[in-house]
Amino acid sequence: MSSVYKTSRRHFLKLCVGTTGVLALAACAPITPPTAPTAAPAPLPAEKRVFKVWHYEVGYAMGDSWADAMEDFKAMHPDVELVFEEKTFEQIMETARMILSSQEVPDVMEINKGNATAGLYSKEGLLTDLTEVAKERGWDKILSPSVQTTCRYDENGIMGSGKLYGVTTYGEFVMVYYNKDMFKQHGVEVPTSLEEFEAIADKFLAEGITPLTLGAADLWPQTHNWQELLLYKADRELINNFQFLKGEVDFHGPAFSFAAEKFAEHIRKGYYGPNANAVSYVDANSVFFQGKAPMNLTGTWAFGEFMKQIKDFDWGMFLMPGKKLNTGSGGNLWIVPAHAKNKDLAYDFIDLTLAKKAQTVLANAGGIALNADLSQVTDPKVRELNALFATIIENDGLAFYPDWPVPGYLDILGGCLQDLIAGIKSPAEFNDCIAGPYNEYKASL
Amino acid sequence: MTHKGSSLYRGYALFLLPGVLAFLVLILFPFLANIGLSFTKWSGVGKPVWIGLANYERAISDSSFWASFKNNLLLIVAMTIIPTIVGLFLAAFLFDYIADKFGQGVASIFRAGFYLPQIIPLVVAGIVWRWIYQPQWGALNGLLRFLGLDSLARPWLGDHSTAMYAVMGMMVWFQIGYPLVIFMAALQRIDPELYEAAALDGASWLQKFFRITIHLIRPEIAVVVLTTAIHALKIFAPIYSMTRGGPGKATIVASYFSYQNFFERSNVGYGATIATILTLIIVLLTIGFILAQTRREE
Amino acid sequence: MVSKSLIADGVSKSLSLVILIVLLLAVLSPFAIITFNTFKTEAELYTRGPLSLPKSLDLTTLRETWARVDYTTKLMNSLVISTAVAFLAVGLSLLNAYALGIGQIRGRAFLLVLFILAITLPEEVLAYPLYYFFKSVGLYNTRLAVILVLTVLHASYGTYLLTSVFSVFSRELIDAAMIDGCNKLQLLFKIIVPLSKPSLSVLFVFFFIWTWNAFFLPLIFLVSNTKQTVPLAAAVFQTQHETLLTPQSASAFLGVLPCLIFFVLFQRTLTKGITVGALK
Repeated sequence: MSSVYKTSRRHFLKLCVGTTGVLALAACAPITPPTAPTAAPAPLPAEKRVFKVWHYEVGYAMGDSWADAMEDFKAMHPDVELVFEEKTFEQIMETARMILSSQEVPDVMEINKGNATAGLYSKEGLLTDLTEVAKERGWDKILSPSVQTTCRYDENGIMGSGKLYGVTTYGEFVMVYYNKDMFKQHGVEVPTSLEEFEAIADKFLAEGITPLTLGAADLWPQTHNWQELLLYKADRELINNFQFLKGEVDFHGPAFSFAAEKFAEHIRKGYYGPNANAVSYVDANSVFFQGKAPMNLTGTWAFGEFMKQIKDFDWGMFLMPGKKLNTGSGGNLWIVPAHAKNKDLAYDFIDLTLAKKAQTVLANAGGIALNADLSQVTDPKVRELNALFATIIENDGLAFYPDWPVPGYLDILGGCLQDLIAGIKSPAEFNDCIAGPYNEYKASL
Repeated sequence: MTHKGSSLYRGYALFLLPGVLAFLVLILFPFLANIGLSFTKWSGVGKPVWIGLANYERAISDSSFWASFKNNLLLIVAMTIIPTIVGLFLAAFLFDYIADKFGQGVASIFRAGFYLPQIIPLVVAGIVWRWIYQPQWGALNGLLRFLGLDSLARPWLGDHSTAMYAVMGMMVWFQIGYPLVIFMAALQRIDPELYEAAALDGASWLQKFFRITIHLIRPEIAVVVLTTAIHALKIFAPIYSMTRGGPGKATIVASYFSYQNFFERSNVGYGATIATILTLIIVLLTIGFILAQTRREE
Repeated sequence: MVSKSLIADGVSKSLSLVILIVLLLAVLSPFAIITFNTFKTEAELYTRGPLSLPKSLDLTTLRETWARVDYTTKLMNSLVISTAVAFLAVGLSLLNAYALGIGQIRGRAFLLVLFILAITLPEEVLAYPLYYFFKSVGLYNTRLAVILVLTVLHASYGTYLLTSVFSVFSRELIDAAMIDGCNKLQLLFKIIVPLSKPSLSVLFVFFFIWTWNAFFLPLIFLVSNTKQTVPLAAAVFQTQHETLLTPQSASAFLGVLPCLIFFVLFQRTLTKGITVGALK
């Protein structure tokens, strides 16, 4: 052994003692490496079936109604454990495809209706065909044909015909909520035409009040304001072509030009205040709740929220006047994933959400029920709301939502509208902005 | 001795087995698969269709693509350039003035305070700042109104012209502590005699700062610049929680743009293309940097 | 003359301190603001604005938000995932670096470059292929999936760092140990590990905090509410239709709070670690 080794060994021994206090060399014993904790969930007892429901309507009338249905379900299946998970609209928008393609699916879940979502998943074979079940259980009687439009998808995933892949339990449409006290104070009446509507807005503006509130930061609210203007010039044929990706859709034709120019004009005049792009949907509603805005154009899904929040003034609603078509549709869908493990239970649950009991809860909470016992609904506002929906259905006036035709159209349309609101794009540039992705997708079919 | 010595360095490859295996399965293969996907058109379900370089051609003519990389460059300004410069001055100031006059403890408290934002999740930092920028009830506008500067109050995140700057402001806040900590440690390496000699020559504080300090801690500056630039190119979470790339495309960044294509628009092929291009840029930057470093050392 | 310069010195001394304190308060103010507004009632926020101190420590918002996001579960998930990754990634880094730094095996430069490039990878490139992989082995929507990916990603950094630490270890010492009859495992655990404890603890803290703060991969791979982590819960909570501002503040507060605790616990290791990491 060379002296180098001797010295280094002595040095090394010192190190060993100094650092660990263990004389390693003398006792090179076998070693068990540290084990890391594992993250395995505790197994559930085998005999109890677990039934999973996901939806994103907590806090809305639908959420109340479905919570009631869940209680009924527990009474009906005492041996089943019902697990409910609250989701968000965005979460489901972004991850639904991954979830539905996997085995990690709930037994029944709410998804957004339209070609871009439900249509795409049905085309990819990720949803259970409910056509037969709907016949057996009489759902097809409860859902009127125009409500069924958004439940049926053909083999290309285009809505309006084909098999029934989803079931909605409510209806929805877009209307103007207005502050009756402010209207009285400023001596204006409910309008009967677009001109009158604009005159009211101008009057409020002249008196230093921003007439409408809009939360354009969230991308989707402004698509409703824009489509309501589009429907002044668009007929049923154009809307169906646009929605079902058929025929000709001229983005520089009279209807689209009118909508973009009108919307830009309203922005320019200051109908929505200077900051619409910075306001979230929730904030926009709270401006109305606080009695600071005379009008708020939004959907009936928020009706229950309006009932809860507004205490200090009287309010009412009207459809954007002087047109036949109206933004709206059957509501979001219950779907049963193709990989669901308890389909029988899923059908029972959907059945309960369509039953008179849960439907009446829905109506009383301010939702638009499809099967409620209206004699049990006392609130005059709710009765008025349901009457408005019945009128739209009678006229075949549901014009759906503009973000449906193309996957990902919501952030395209919403983003282009933000540019229009900011004045970065002219109306013609805005129409180019929404035409490109639409035509590209249509060509790819 | 010799035969024993040569065997000493054998058999280590076994220790690499778990690491390399996991690396192959969880990083390298997925990475290569993603490159493969970038040559296809695919919705995420069913069979991908081979379309060659079409996605890359599309990217080059896509205004969103360029907008996102432009914003990544702005993030490099906010996360690399500004924090490095401010960090240098702040570190020198804390190190030789504050520590000198008030003691090491005070300097350490400042250092810790500036570093604090670094340890919270970026996605939560985004939520905090969204709250601060809120037009009606946000703290920033509240402060401006309190100071009587109502005319300056604006919807920071909702206005095309200010949204990206608002995001940058948050990123500066987030990033400032990192260079500060590194530079303060680096300064401890410097021999105080150098400063004393310079002082004898009548050099001012600024002259010493530029001639000695900056010169001697160049390696740390280089590391900070590289790591923060890579970080800035990869930013995702704060955009997700603050602006979702909006309004319009005002705050879109490469990472979020690929996410949008992956998960919102079901253009998986195109999303893979954007992610691949982003990777390529980062890898080239890193390799270039390593080469420059080794050349300098030689 | 002397007194003048002394006064000037005193003025500049206090002035510089005041400027620094103002800067520091500016940096810390976001933390203060969300803390204040977590303990306010909604009405108080609307009447007194976001900058005021809360009138009383009103815990209702915090309690409701805690329940609404099921914060206890999220905390447990974050803790389990972060702890597991920290242990596993330190272990994996150690094994890799042992072979590359001590063993000096062939092709080590190439392997090191691979690991370095893995550190720089944007996570989006892994999302879809890994989703398919995890789905096929039944790990999609499990915490284990997130643990595995983050372990390998962080271990890339750890490998690079520890390799450079190990390559300056004394060769003679290692040779001596071998001659004294230690086998490779014993050499690693009896000698190398004790000697590199400081570096290992730095890595442990780093990995723990990085994992705690991870967002993108958990967002993709964790679907069930019961499996999600704290940052995820905060982001989800924010997009839920909340008409109220104080709960949003509370969710941000809950997202920040654990990190503040870690900061206090690990501050020394962190500061040391950052500088060690930067010099390599």
